[in-house]
Amino acid sequence: MKAIKCKDLNKRFYRKNALNDLSFSIEENKIVGVIGRNGAGKTTLLKIIAGLLKEKSGVIEVYGRRPFNNLFVSANTIYIDDAMNFPTALTLKEILEEGKRFYHHWDHDLALRLFDYFGFNPSQHHNELSKGKESTFNMIVGLASRSPLTIFDEPTTGMDAAVRKDFYRALLKDYLAHPRTILLSTHHLEEMEDLLEEVLVIHEGSLKLQMSMDDLKEYGVGLTGKKDVVEPFLKEKEILWKKEQALDTCYAVIKNDLTDHEYQRMKEAGVQVSPVKANDLCIYLTESRNEKGSVDDVFDRSADV
Amino acid sequence: MILDTDGMKPIYIQIAEWLESEILHGNFQADDKVYSQYQLADLYNINPATAAKGLTKLAEEGILYDKRGLGKFVSTHAKQIIIDKRKNQTLKNLVNDLVTEAGRLELSEEDTIKLIRNAWKGEQG
Repeated sequence: MKAIKCKDLNKRFYRKNALNDLSFSIEENKIVGVIGRNGAGKTTLLKIIAGLLKEKSGVIEVYGRRPFNNLFVSANTIYIDDAMNFPTALTLKEILEEGKRFYHHWDHDLALRLFDYFGFNPSQHHNELSKGKESTFNMIVGLASRSPLTIFDEPTTGMDAAVRKDFYRALLKDYLAHPRTILLSTHHLEEMEDLLEEVLVIHEGSLKLQMSMDDLKEYGVGLTGKKDVVEPFLKEKEILWKKEQALDTCYAVIKNDLTDHEYQRMKEAGVQVSPVKANDLCIYLTESRNEKGSVDDVFDRSADV
Repeated sequence: MILDTDGMKPIYIQIAEWLESEILHGNFQADDKVYSQYQLADLYNINPATAAKGLTKLAEEGILYDKRGLGKFVSTHAKQIIIDKRKNQTLKNLVNDLVTEAGRLELSEEDTIKLIRNAWKGEQG
Protein backbone atom coordinates (compact mmCIF):
# COMPACT_ATOMS: atom_id res chain seq x y z
CA MET A 1 0.00 0.00 0.00
CA LYS A 2 1.11 3.55 -0.65
CA ALA A 3 1.63 5.65 2.45
CA ILE A 4 2.15 8.90 0.57
CA LYS A 5 1.11 9.90 -2.90
CA CYS A 6 1.53 13.31 -4.43
CA LYS A 7 0.96 14.63 -7.90
CA ASP A 8 1.87 18.02 -9.35
CA LEU A 9 2.21 19.43 -5.88
CA ASN A 10 2.82 23.18 -5.72
CA LYS A 11 3.46 25.60 -2.89
CA ARG A 12 4.34 29.27 -3.04
CA PHE A 13 5.67 31.59 -0.38
CA TYR A 14 5.58 35.31 -1.10
CA ARG A 15 5.53 34.82 -4.85
CA LYS A 16 8.44 32.43 -4.71
CA ASN A 17 7.82 28.81 -5.69
CA ALA A 18 8.78 26.53 -2.85
CA LEU A 19 7.53 23.36 -4.55
CA ASN A 20 7.23 22.91 -8.31
CA ASP A 21 4.95 20.21 -9.70
CA LEU A 22 6.30 17.61 -7.34
CA SER A 23 5.09 14.06 -8.06
CA PHE A 24 6.11 10.86 -6.31
CA SER A 25 4.78 8.15 -4.08
CA ILE A 26 6.18 6.26 -1.13
CA GLU A 27 5.37 2.69 -0.17
CA GLU A 28 4.36 1.87 3.35
CA ASN A 29 6.91 0.72 5.95
CA LYS A 30 10.07 2.04 4.38
CA ILE A 31 12.73 4.31 5.82
CA VAL A 32 13.11 7.08 3.27
CA GLY A 33 15.71 9.85 3.28
CA VAL A 34 14.71 13.26 1.95
CA ILE A 35 17.85 14.91 0.66
CA GLY A 36 18.41 18.40 -0.70
CA ARG A 37 20.32 21.62 -0.20
CA ASN A 38 19.26 24.33 2.21
CA GLY A 39 16.10 25.94 0.86
CA ALA A 40 15.36 23.12 -1.59
CA GLY A 41 11.86 22.67 -0.20
CA LYS A 42 12.36 19.67 2.12
CA THR A 43 10.71 21.20 5.16
CA THR A 44 7.81 22.61 3.13
CA LEU A 45 7.18 19.19 1.63
CA LEU A 46 7.38 17.37 4.96
CA LYS A 47 5.05 19.89 6.60
CA ILE A 48 2.50 19.50 3.82
CA ILE A 49 2.67 15.71 4.23
CA ALA A 50 2.14 16.10 7.98
CA GLY A 51 -0.81 18.41 7.34
CA LEU A 52 0.83 21.41 8.97
CA LEU A 53 0.85 23.44 5.76
CA LYS A 54 -1.71 23.69 3.01
CA GLU A 55 -0.66 22.97 -0.56
CA LYS A 56 -1.41 25.57 -3.20
CA SER A 57 -2.36 23.14 -5.93
CA GLY A 58 -1.94 19.52 -6.89
CA VAL A 59 -2.83 16.37 -5.05
CA ILE A 60 -1.34 15.15 -1.79
CA GLU A 61 -2.62 12.01 -0.14
CA VAL A 62 -1.46 10.37 3.07
CA TYR A 63 -3.14 7.00 3.56
CA GLY A 64 -5.54 8.03 0.82
CA ARG A 65 -6.61 11.25 2.53
CA ARG A 66 -5.71 14.88 2.12
CA PRO A 67 -3.59 15.65 5.21
CA PHE A 68 -4.51 19.29 5.83
CA ASN A 69 -7.08 19.55 8.65
CA ASN A 70 -7.55 15.79 8.64
CA LEU A 71 -7.93 14.04 12.00
CA PHE A 72 -7.10 10.59 10.66
CA VAL A 73 -3.79 11.77 9.23
CA SER A 74 -2.97 13.76 12.39
CA ALA A 75 -3.67 10.75 14.59
CA ASN A 76 -1.32 8.56 12.56
CA THR A 77 1.47 11.05 11.90
CA ILE A 78 4.12 12.73 13.98
CA TYR A 79 6.35 15.52 12.72
CA ILE A 80 9.55 16.13 14.64
CA ASP A 81 11.83 19.10 13.95
CA ASP A 82 14.08 21.35 16.02
CA ALA A 83 11.32 23.85 16.76
CA MET A 84 8.99 21.62 18.73
CA ASN A 85 6.62 23.67 20.82
CA PHE A 86 6.01 21.84 24.07
CA PRO A 87 4.15 23.61 26.89
CA THR A 88 6.73 25.31 29.10
CA ALA A 89 4.61 24.64 32.18
CA LEU A 90 5.18 20.89 31.88
CA THR A 91 8.29 19.05 33.01
CA LEU A 92 9.95 16.63 30.58
CA LYS A 93 8.43 13.70 32.44
CA GLU A 94 4.98 15.28 32.17
CA ILE A 95 5.42 15.83 28.44
CA LEU A 96 6.06 12.11 28.02
CA GLU A 97 2.97 11.34 30.10
CA GLU A 98 0.95 13.54 27.77
CA GLY A 99 2.47 11.77 24.78
CA LYS A 100 0.99 8.55 26.10
CA ARG A 101 -2.48 10.13 26.16
CA PHE A 102 -2.01 11.69 22.72
CA TYR A 103 -0.64 8.88 20.51
CA HIS A 104 -2.45 5.57 20.57
CA HIS A 105 0.62 3.54 19.53
CA TRP A 106 2.81 5.27 22.16
CA ASP A 107 5.29 2.97 23.92
CA HIS A 108 5.79 4.54 27.32
CA ASP A 109 8.27 1.96 28.48
CA LEU A 110 10.53 2.70 25.51
CA ALA A 111 10.18 6.45 26.15
CA LEU A 112 11.24 6.09 29.78
CA ARG A 113 14.14 3.77 29.00
CA LEU A 114 15.53 6.11 26.33
CA PHE A 115 14.91 9.08 28.65
CA ASP A 116 16.96 7.36 31.31
CA TYR A 117 19.68 6.17 28.92
CA PHE A 118 20.32 9.70 27.63
CA GLY A 119 20.52 11.03 31.17
CA PHE A 120 17.57 13.40 31.30
CA ASN A 121 16.34 14.93 34.52
CA PRO A 122 12.58 14.27 34.84
CA SER A 123 11.85 17.60 36.50
CA GLN A 124 13.62 19.69 33.84
CA HIS A 125 11.69 21.80 31.36
CA HIS A 126 11.97 21.61 27.57
CA ASN A 127 12.99 25.26 27.13
CA GLU A 128 15.90 24.78 29.55
CA LEU A 129 17.58 22.14 27.42
CA SER A 130 20.70 22.69 25.34
CA LYS A 131 20.31 22.40 21.59
CA GLY A 132 21.64 18.85 21.42
CA LYS A 133 19.62 17.71 24.42
CA GLU A 134 16.49 19.27 22.95
CA SER A 135 16.97 17.31 19.71
CA THR A 136 17.59 14.16 21.72
CA PHE A 137 14.38 14.63 23.68
CA ASN A 138 12.38 15.32 20.51
CA MET A 139 13.84 12.17 18.98
CA ILE A 140 12.61 10.16 21.98
CA VAL A 141 9.11 11.55 21.50
CA GLY A 142 9.29 10.70 17.79
CA LEU A 143 10.41 7.11 18.37
CA ALA A 144 8.09 6.42 21.32
CA SER A 145 5.04 7.68 19.43
CA ARG A 146 5.37 4.69 17.06
CA SER A 147 3.28 6.69 14.59
CA PRO A 148 2.60 4.74 11.38
CA LEU A 149 4.04 7.77 9.58
CA THR A 150 6.97 9.25 11.48
CA ILE A 151 8.64 12.33 10.05
CA PHE A 152 12.01 13.58 11.30
CA ASP A 153 13.02 16.92 9.83
CA GLU A 154 16.75 17.25 10.45
CA PRO A 155 16.53 15.39 13.74
CA THR A 156 20.23 15.45 14.56
CA THR A 157 20.72 19.24 14.82
CA GLY A 158 23.12 19.90 17.66
CA MET A 159 23.56 16.24 18.64
CA ASP A 160 27.14 15.16 19.19
CA ALA A 161 28.54 12.27 17.14
CA ALA A 162 27.97 9.68 19.89
CA VAL A 163 24.32 10.63 20.35
CA ARG A 164 23.75 10.62 16.58
CA LYS A 165 25.13 7.10 16.42
CA ASP A 166 22.85 6.01 19.25
CA PHE A 167 19.90 7.63 17.52
CA TYR A 168 20.51 5.77 14.24
CA ARG A 169 20.85 2.52 16.13
CA ALA A 170 17.71 3.13 18.20
CA LEU A 171 15.77 4.07 15.08
CA LEU A 172 16.80 0.90 13.26
CA LYS A 173 16.15 -1.37 16.24
CA ASP A 174 12.71 0.03 16.82
CA TYR A 175 11.92 -0.09 13.10
CA LEU A 176 12.92 -3.76 12.90
CA ALA A 177 10.60 -4.57 15.78
CA HIS A 178 7.81 -2.25 14.62
CA PRO A 179 8.05 -1.52 10.90
CA ARG A 180 6.50 1.80 9.92
CA THR A 181 6.95 4.55 7.37
CA ILE A 182 9.75 6.86 8.42
CA LEU A 183 10.77 10.00 6.53
CA LEU A 184 14.06 11.59 7.46
CA SER A 185 15.52 14.76 6.08
CA THR A 186 19.19 15.10 6.75
CA HIS A 187 22.46 16.77 5.87
CA HIS A 188 24.34 13.77 7.21
CA LEU A 189 23.56 11.28 4.46
CA GLU A 190 26.96 9.61 4.81
CA GLU A 191 26.16 8.77 8.44
CA MET A 192 22.76 7.22 7.89
CA GLU A 193 22.89 5.89 4.35
CA ASP A 194 23.01 2.25 5.47
CA LEU A 195 19.80 2.82 7.40
CA LEU A 196 17.78 4.09 4.47
CA GLU A 197 15.91 1.95 2.00
CA GLU A 198 15.09 4.73 -0.41
CA VAL A 199 16.06 8.33 -1.11
CA LEU A 200 14.20 11.29 -2.49
CA VAL A 201 16.46 14.03 -3.80
CA ILE A 202 14.76 17.43 -3.94
CA HIS A 203 16.29 20.30 -5.84
CA GLU A 204 14.78 23.77 -6.10
CA GLY A 205 11.32 22.48 -5.26
CA SER A 206 11.38 19.68 -7.84
CA LEU A 207 12.06 16.00 -7.63
CA LYS A 208 15.54 15.30 -8.89
CA LEU A 209 15.73 11.61 -8.16
CA GLN A 210 13.94 8.82 -6.36
CA MET A 211 15.58 5.43 -6.06
CA SER A 212 16.66 2.76 -3.64
CA MET A 213 19.72 3.56 -1.55
CA ASP A 214 21.54 0.52 -2.94
CA ASP A 215 21.03 1.82 -6.47
CA LEU A 216 22.05 5.36 -5.58
CA LYS A 217 25.35 4.08 -4.22
CA GLU A 218 26.10 2.55 -7.61
CA TYR A 219 24.52 5.32 -9.67
CA GLY A 220 27.68 7.24 -10.45
CA VAL A 221 31.29 6.43 -11.10
CA GLY A 222 34.23 8.82 -10.91
CA LEU A 223 36.98 9.02 -13.53
CA THR A 224 40.28 10.68 -12.77
CA GLY A 225 43.16 11.15 -15.13
CA LYS A 226 44.89 13.41 -17.61
CA LYS A 227 42.35 15.61 -19.35
CA ASP A 228 43.13 14.43 -22.87
CA VAL A 229 42.94 10.80 -21.77
CA VAL A 230 39.67 11.11 -19.86
CA GLU A 231 37.83 13.33 -22.38
CA PRO A 232 37.43 10.69 -25.13
CA PHE A 233 35.78 8.33 -22.66
CA LEU A 234 33.19 10.95 -21.78
CA LYS A 235 31.70 11.01 -25.27
CA GLU A 236 28.18 9.59 -25.38
CA LYS A 237 28.17 9.37 -21.59
CA GLU A 238 25.93 11.28 -19.30
CA ILE A 239 28.24 13.57 -17.37
CA LEU A 240 26.88 14.34 -13.95
CA TRP A 241 29.72 16.51 -12.77
CA LYS A 242 33.15 17.58 -13.90
CA LYS A 243 36.00 19.42 -12.34
CA GLU A 244 39.38 20.34 -13.69
CA GLN A 245 42.23 19.84 -11.33
CA ALA A 246 45.86 20.82 -11.17
CA LEU A 247 48.40 19.51 -13.67
CA ASP A 248 45.93 18.99 -16.54
CA THR A 249 44.04 16.29 -14.73
CA CYS A 250 40.31 16.22 -14.42
CA TYR A 251 37.72 14.42 -12.38
CA ALA A 252 34.43 13.53 -14.04
CA VAL A 253 31.42 11.76 -12.60
CA ILE A 254 29.34 9.82 -15.10
CA LYS A 255 26.41 7.49 -14.89
CA ASN A 256 27.57 4.03 -13.98
CA ASP A 257 26.65 2.11 -17.11
CA LEU A 258 30.17 1.00 -17.99
CA THR A 259 30.57 -2.37 -19.61
CA ASP A 260 33.41 -4.62 -18.48
CA HIS A 261 35.09 -3.87 -21.78
CA GLU A 262 34.95 -0.09 -21.28
CA TYR A 263 36.12 -0.49 -17.72
CA GLN A 264 39.09 -2.55 -18.88
CA ARG A 265 39.96 -0.03 -21.59
CA MET A 266 39.87 2.83 -19.10
CA LYS A 267 42.08 0.95 -16.69
CA GLU A 268 44.58 0.24 -19.45
CA ALA A 269 44.59 3.89 -20.50
CA GLY A 270 45.50 4.85 -16.96
CA VAL A 271 42.17 6.34 -15.99
CA GLN A 272 41.42 5.85 -12.33
CA VAL A 273 37.88 4.58 -11.84
CA SER A 274 36.47 5.15 -8.38
CA PRO A 275 33.11 4.80 -6.64
CA VAL A 276 31.14 7.96 -5.92
CA LYS A 277 29.70 8.21 -2.44
CA ALA A 278 25.97 8.76 -2.24
CA ASN A 279 26.50 11.95 -0.27
CA ASP A 280 28.87 13.44 -2.88
CA LEU A 281 26.59 12.35 -5.69
CA CYS A 282 23.69 14.21 -4.12
CA ILE A 283 25.82 17.34 -3.88
CA TYR A 284 26.74 17.04 -7.58
CA LEU A 285 23.13 16.45 -8.60
CA THR A 286 21.91 19.49 -6.70
CA GLU A 287 24.58 21.91 -7.88
CA SER A 288 22.71 25.06 -8.78
CA ARG A 289 22.91 25.86 -12.46
CA ASN A 290 23.83 29.50 -12.17
CA GLU A 291 26.85 31.36 -13.40
CA LYS A 292 28.38 31.63 -9.97
CA GLY A 293 30.55 28.54 -10.36
CA SER A 294 32.19 27.07 -7.29
CA VAL A 295 33.19 28.77 -4.08
CA ASP A 296 36.75 28.79 -5.40
CA ASP A 297 35.70 31.38 -7.97
CA VAL A 298 34.75 33.80 -5.20
CA PHE A 299 38.39 33.87 -4.23
CA ASP A 300 39.93 33.60 -7.71
CA ARG A 301 38.16 36.77 -8.83
CA SER A 302 40.33 38.99 -6.63
CA ALA A 303 43.44 37.38 -8.05
CA ASP A 304 42.40 38.32 -11.61
CA VAL A 305 42.39 42.07 -11.04
CA MET B 1 33.32 -8.93 9.81
CA ILE B 2 33.32 -5.16 9.66
CA LEU B 3 31.52 -3.61 6.71
CA ASP B 4 33.63 -1.52 4.37
CA THR B 5 31.33 1.39 3.72
CA ASP B 6 33.80 3.39 1.62
CA GLY B 7 34.77 0.69 -0.85
CA MET B 8 33.55 -0.09 -4.32
CA LYS B 9 31.81 -3.23 -3.07
CA PRO B 10 28.12 -2.76 -2.29
CA ILE B 11 26.97 -3.63 1.22
CA TYR B 12 24.63 -6.41 0.08
CA ILE B 13 27.49 -8.15 -1.73
CA GLN B 14 29.63 -7.92 1.41
CA ILE B 15 26.78 -9.50 3.37
CA ALA B 16 26.44 -12.28 0.78
CA GLU B 17 30.19 -12.95 0.80
CA TRP B 18 30.25 -13.05 4.58
CA LEU B 19 27.50 -15.66 4.61
CA GLU B 20 29.42 -17.63 1.96
CA SER B 21 32.51 -17.63 4.18
CA GLU B 22 30.44 -18.78 7.15
CA ILE B 23 29.19 -21.68 5.03
CA LEU B 24 32.72 -22.50 3.82
CA HIS B 25 34.00 -22.53 7.39
CA GLY B 26 31.25 -24.92 8.31
CA ASN B 27 29.44 -22.54 10.66
CA PHE B 28 26.34 -23.24 8.61
CA GLN B 29 25.81 -26.80 7.39
CA ALA B 30 23.54 -28.03 4.62
CA ASP B 31 19.88 -27.55 5.53
CA ASP B 32 20.74 -25.16 8.37
CA LYS B 33 18.64 -22.03 8.60
CA VAL B 34 20.70 -18.87 7.98
CA TYR B 35 20.12 -15.43 9.47
CA SER B 36 16.95 -13.63 8.47
CA GLN B 37 17.09 -10.21 6.83
CA TYR B 38 16.07 -8.68 10.17
CA GLN B 39 18.80 -10.48 12.11
CA LEU B 40 21.37 -9.37 9.51
CA ALA B 41 20.04 -5.80 9.66
CA ASP B 42 20.47 -5.81 13.42
CA LEU B 43 23.92 -7.45 13.27
CA TYR B 44 25.33 -5.03 10.72
CA ASN B 45 23.24 -1.95 11.42
CA ILE B 46 21.83 -1.78 7.92
CA ASN B 47 18.40 -1.50 6.37
CA PRO B 48 16.65 -4.90 6.18
CA ALA B 49 16.01 -4.34 2.45
CA THR B 50 19.77 -4.29 1.84
CA ALA B 51 20.19 -7.48 3.86
CA ALA B 52 17.36 -9.10 1.91
CA LYS B 53 19.13 -8.24 -1.34
CA GLY B 54 22.19 -10.16 -0.15
CA LEU B 55 20.07 -13.19 0.76
CA THR B 56 18.24 -13.06 -2.58
CA LYS B 57 21.55 -13.05 -4.43
CA LEU B 58 22.61 -16.25 -2.67
CA ALA B 59 19.23 -17.84 -3.35
CA GLU B 60 19.53 -17.00 -7.05
CA GLU B 61 22.93 -18.67 -7.16
CA GLY B 62 21.49 -21.81 -5.58
CA ILE B 63 23.50 -21.45 -2.39
CA LEU B 64 20.39 -20.90 -0.28
CA TYR B 65 16.88 -22.17 -0.75
CA ASP B 66 13.56 -20.83 0.42
CA LYS B 67 11.14 -22.51 2.74
CA ARG B 68 8.00 -20.49 2.49
CA GLY B 69 7.32 -18.64 5.70
CA LEU B 70 10.29 -20.23 7.47
CA GLY B 71 13.23 -18.40 5.95
CA LYS B 72 16.29 -19.31 3.95
CA PHE B 73 18.30 -22.51 4.33
CA VAL B 74 21.70 -23.74 3.11
CA SER B 75 21.34 -25.96 0.06
CA THR B 76 23.05 -29.35 -0.21
CA HIS B 77 25.64 -28.26 -2.78
CA ALA B 78 26.20 -24.79 -1.32
CA LYS B 79 29.84 -25.38 -0.44
CA GLN B 80 30.73 -26.67 -3.91
CA ILE B 81 28.93 -23.81 -5.64
CA ILE B 82 30.80 -21.26 -3.53
CA ILE B 83 34.18 -22.92 -4.11
CA ASP B 84 33.59 -23.12 -7.89
CA LYS B 85 32.45 -19.51 -8.03
CA ARG B 86 35.40 -18.23 -6.06
CA LYS B 87 37.89 -20.24 -8.13
CA ASN B 88 36.47 -19.12 -11.44
CA GLN B 89 35.79 -15.50 -10.61
CA THR B 90 37.39 -14.14 -7.48
CA LEU B 91 40.71 -15.97 -7.72
CA LYS B 92 41.00 -15.33 -11.45
CA ASN B 93 40.48 -11.59 -10.94
CA LEU B 94 43.02 -11.49 -8.14
CA VAL B 95 45.58 -13.20 -10.38
CA ASN B 96 44.81 -10.76 -13.19
CA ASP B 97 45.37 -7.84 -10.84
CA LEU B 98 48.61 -9.39 -9.66
CA VAL B 99 49.87 -9.78 -13.23
CA THR B 100 48.88 -6.21 -14.12
CA GLU B 101 50.69 -4.81 -11.09
CA ALA B 102 53.73 -6.99 -11.80
CA GLY B 103 53.74 -5.61 -15.34
CA ARG B 104 53.66 -2.05 -14.05
CA LEU B 105 56.64 -2.81 -11.82
CA GLU B 106 58.40 -4.45 -14.79
CA LEU B 107 58.66 -7.79 -13.00
CA SER B 108 59.34 -10.82 -15.20
CA GLU B 109 56.98 -13.77 -15.37
CA GLU B 110 59.59 -15.91 -13.64
CA ASP B 111 60.01 -13.43 -10.75
CA THR B 112 56.27 -13.15 -10.32
CA ILE B 113 55.90 -16.89 -10.09
CA LYS B 114 58.78 -16.97 -7.63
CA LEU B 115 56.87 -14.52 -5.45
CA ILE B 116 53.84 -16.76 -5.52
CA ARG B 117 55.94 -19.79 -4.73
CA ASN B 118 57.49 -18.06 -1.70
CA ALA B 119 54.11 -16.93 -0.49
CA TRP B 120 52.83 -20.46 -0.94
CA LYS B 121 55.69 -21.85 1.16
CA GLY B 122 55.06 -19.29 3.88
CA GLU B 123 51.37 -20.20 3.94
CA GLN B 124 52.01 -23.96 4.10
CA GLY B 125 54.95 -23.88 6.50
